[in-house]
Amino acid sequence: MTTEFRQRRGRGRVTKDILRNGDVLSAAALAALGVYVFAEAWSWPYYNEDGPGPGFFPVWYGVVMVVLSLALIAMTIAKLPRAETPDWQGISRALITWAAFAISAALMGWLGFLVSFALLTFFMITYVFRQPAVTAGVAAVIAAAAFYLVFPFALSVPLPTGVFGF
Amino acid sequence: MIIRLSPALAALALVAASAFPAHAQFKPTKQIEFVVHGGPGSGNDVFARQLSTIIDQEKLAPVRVQVVNKPGGGATTAANYMASKKGDPYTIACFTNIWLLNPLVQKAAVNRLQDMSPIARLVVEPALVVVLADSPFKTLAQFIDAAKANPGKLKWSGGSILSRENTVRQLLMQKTGARWQFISFPSGGERLAALLGGHVEMMIVDPSEAVEQIRGGKFRAIAQVSEHRLPGFPDVPTIKEAGFDIPNVPQMRGIVGAPGMSPEAVAYYEDLFFKVSQTPAWKKFLTDSHLDGEFVRSAQLKPFLINFEGTLREILKGTGAKVVR
Amino acid sequence: MDVLNGLLHGFAVALQPTNLFWCFVGCFLGTVVGILPGLGPAATIALLLPLTFKMDPAGGIIMLAGIYYGAKYGGSTTSILLNIPGESSSVVTCIDGHAMAKNGRAGPALGIAAIASFVAGTFGILALTLLAPPVASFALQFSSPEYFALMCLGLALVVLLSGPSLIKGLMSLFLGLWLTSIGTDLFSAQARFVFGQSELLGGMDFVVVAIGVFAIAEVLASIDGGEKARMLPVPKGVRNLLPSWEELKACRFAFINGSVTGFIIGVLPGAGSAISSFIAYGIEKAFSKHPEKFGHGVPEGVAAPEGANNSDSGGALVPLLTLGIPGGGTTAIMLSALVLWGVRPGPLLMTESPDVFWGLVASMYIGNVVLLILNLPMVPVFAQILRMPVHVLFPVILGISLVGAYGVGGRLFDVGLLVGFGLLGYTMVKLKYPTAPLILGFVLGDAMERALRQSLTMSQGDLGILVRGWISATMLACAVLILLLPLLGRFNKARVQAIAEGG
Repeated sequence: MTTEFRQRRGRGRVTKDILRNGDVLSAAALAALGVYVFAEAWSWPYYNEDGPGPGFFPVWYGVVMVVLSLALIAMTIAKLPRAETPDWQGISRALITWAAFAISAALMGWLGFLVSFALLTFFMITYVFRQPAVTAGVAAVIAAAAFYLVFPFALSVPLPTGVFGF
Repeated sequence: MIIRLSPALAALALVAASAFPAHAQFKPTKQIEFVVHGGPGSGNDVFARQLSTIIDQEKLAPVRVQVVNKPGGGATTAANYMASKKGDPYTIACFTNIWLLNPLVQKAAVNRLQDMSPIARLVVEPALVVVLADSPFKTLAQFIDAAKANPGKLKWSGGSILSRENTVRQLLMQKTGARWQFISFPSGGERLAALLGGHVEMMIVDPSEAVEQIRGGKFRAIAQVSEHRLPGFPDVPTIKEAGFDIPNVPQMRGIVGAPGMSPEAVAYYEDLFFKVSQTPAWKKFLTDSHLDGEFVRSAQLKPFLINFEGTLREILKGTGAKVVR
Repeated sequence: MDVLNGLLHGFAVALQPTNLFWCFVGCFLGTVVGILPGLGPAATIALLLPLTFKMDPAGGIIMLAGIYYGAKYGGSTTSILLNIPGESSSVVTCIDGHAMAKNGRAGPALGIAAIASFVAGTFGILALTLLAPPVASFALQFSSPEYFALMCLGLALVVLLSGPSLIKGLMSLFLGLWLTSIGTDLFSAQARFVFGQSELLGGMDFVVVAIGVFAIAEVLASIDGGEKARMLPVPKGVRNLLPSWEELKACRFAFINGSVTGFIIGVLPGAGSAISSFIAYGIEKAFSKHPEKFGHGVPEGVAAPEGANNSDSGGALVPLLTLGIPGGGTTAIMLSALVLWGVRPGPLLMTESPDVFWGLVASMYIGNVVLLILNLPMVPVFAQILRMPVHVLFPVILGISLVGAYGVGGRLFDVGLLVGFGLLGYTMVKLKYPTAPLILGFVLGDAMERALRQSLTMSQGDLGILVRGWISATMLACAVLILLLPLLGRFNKARVQAIAEGG
């Protein structure tokens, strides 16, 4: 069946499918990681008079990582499925959420946990979930207040503080 | 890629966090952070909590001294944290040898003990060389002779390569030409279990950890790593007395402040810990844990640390470790 | 003093009103600490230690132990409801526990976790009461080759955790092995894969990795799902908030499995409760009649690991109380607490301080009952959390995750790592790489490398040391057997197909 696909789609399409296949791409990335692991580990002592050195274990799993990745690439290409069009809308929504999360984490040292968390909540509710700004504002303030009451206040678990002192 | 990105973000945040203005003058009005480099329950943690408890019970400070655990990477995490608190008079730490050793062997460990504000050295810790109670080795010399006869067959359990256990082993091996294996275990419990189970023949251990095993008839001490015999073990020879003339490797514990701490703050803490060292509770703790409590003041501590780092560097080089600084 | 007399004496101590009170306080605090990520039992005990100096040692240790085993009870709550593993021992509970919550069975999952904890926790104490000295000497027979074999056995479970593609499961496992070797090598003080970052010299904390890969990734994937990301169903009525009789019956074997596995692994000072819960889950799945349902919300998948990590607490106290050897961070601080109170923990503790030893043991029977009574009524309350609208629930999950990651060491660096691991986990979910093997590799990889290197150092490079002892040889054989399971499965499938086609 797969050969049939391939014949129908022609050479150029196949190459394109291979290059767009998530399994191939991720396996290639892992193969690169395996090569990196192996190269780093190779520079450390493999075995010394006291026993196995720091390179002993990583050298081996580096090699296995490369082998496994190449095997996955080979297996994927052998029965190359038709490239699925990913749901870019969903993915971009997730990635924007992640970016917001990352930015709020980065701001945490400056604004403190409570402010950056409230901003994150506000952004997620308005932008990702398309709720009215008023709802988002109320929810953000209540959520931040609840976190304050539970963690630093009731349990004296420290949270990152910022320029405002909280 | 992902892994590379996140440290960059966090580094950014750290820079932002450290931009606090330094206090112009010092008076303890809020909680003092007392940083230790081990997790809760580690030797260093217990030591610091003992100090903090005495300060609390004897009301030696107007504020609480709160122990904060910053474990990881030997003492690197704790040292980094101290460096991030530059100039802060409310952050002090409990240091041990590892604070000096880490930067010596690791390029990435950039925050050195000498860069912090030395406050006081509180104790020097001796150690015991112990075997199982039914072991054929009655003296250290017998062990070393056996190791010479069977190179690489005998084993010690201990901590990391930088630990005192390994340093003493390296020095003894150099001195005598004998060879035996050193098995690293991350936790003290595993080291004890390895000896109790008979999987290794010998270990070097803190007296406080060994004393119950000795009393319970499991272990026997055959030598002690100390300048002079401990009061609790008058019949056990020091390594030197056992016939092996190697330099003593002291394990010390003391207090430093964040880098750039004001002289007024340093003087305050020096005085605070001196008061602690005079309390009966502290003296009892020292006796119970078999510690040598010689108080060394801030002024003498800095030159001592620089000097001691030199000694450690020489010992490390002698044992073949890779020294980067 | 024989066991019965000892236990009677212990109950006399534990049932004194003040000690009962401390037992309750400890269990309550433990539950709270277990539920909230960012608070660990070890740190909590350390924090409360100064308060216990005025108490008598029996009361003190009763309370601290309550925090210790109570935290494991509470640990399952966030795992099941929010996919946030608060403690390392409750990671495995996320797999089927959160799947049950997504199927509208959050209440039953919480209930089963509480019951399994009670059954296995009580079994662990019973075993501690009756078997402590012989079991302790068994634990001492474990040397590095045995630990290596145990870790191999654990890693072989990847076969059972991989889902449809074994090769992707293996790659996820190896990624975990790599991540766990980041940091300073114990044996040589060599810094490995730290990219010049001194923050990485200490390695990465398990909680940060697990929260990122599980909780954050789950939130991102749900947001990606868009329309599907509706509220999690929480059916009305008490009947649906507690486990059904069928669900409990399905867990019969899991209760026994969790109890025994947890205790045996708990006794070993070099293992940890995360390992026992992984292995109990693996055993459960390997012997199940419907292994394909695991990961989609089966009650056994909750009962086995939850039972194991609670039975583990009883096991971990064996070396602590009979030999004076702490197995992990929490037991280490309990040991130092005993020292600070003037009790001398070691081989003589049982005979010299019977009040402490037997009082503690007896109080744990009581504590387990207290915990069950504390936890079961809370189940319906906690299950209501999922009624929150998704647009509030998701930010709250992210917030709790942030607190959890920061709570590990008070470093913003860990928060940065959490962000990174969230993206990694999401990418893995999108590309259909299973994430559980990554955690498995991360938990066991380090211990396995250590055990292997210790063994080879002991034997001066002779690999034969790994199979010379009967314990290690047996475990390695089991590991090989597990690794061969998929081949057998394929063979079986082919056979069934052949029969079907033939008929």
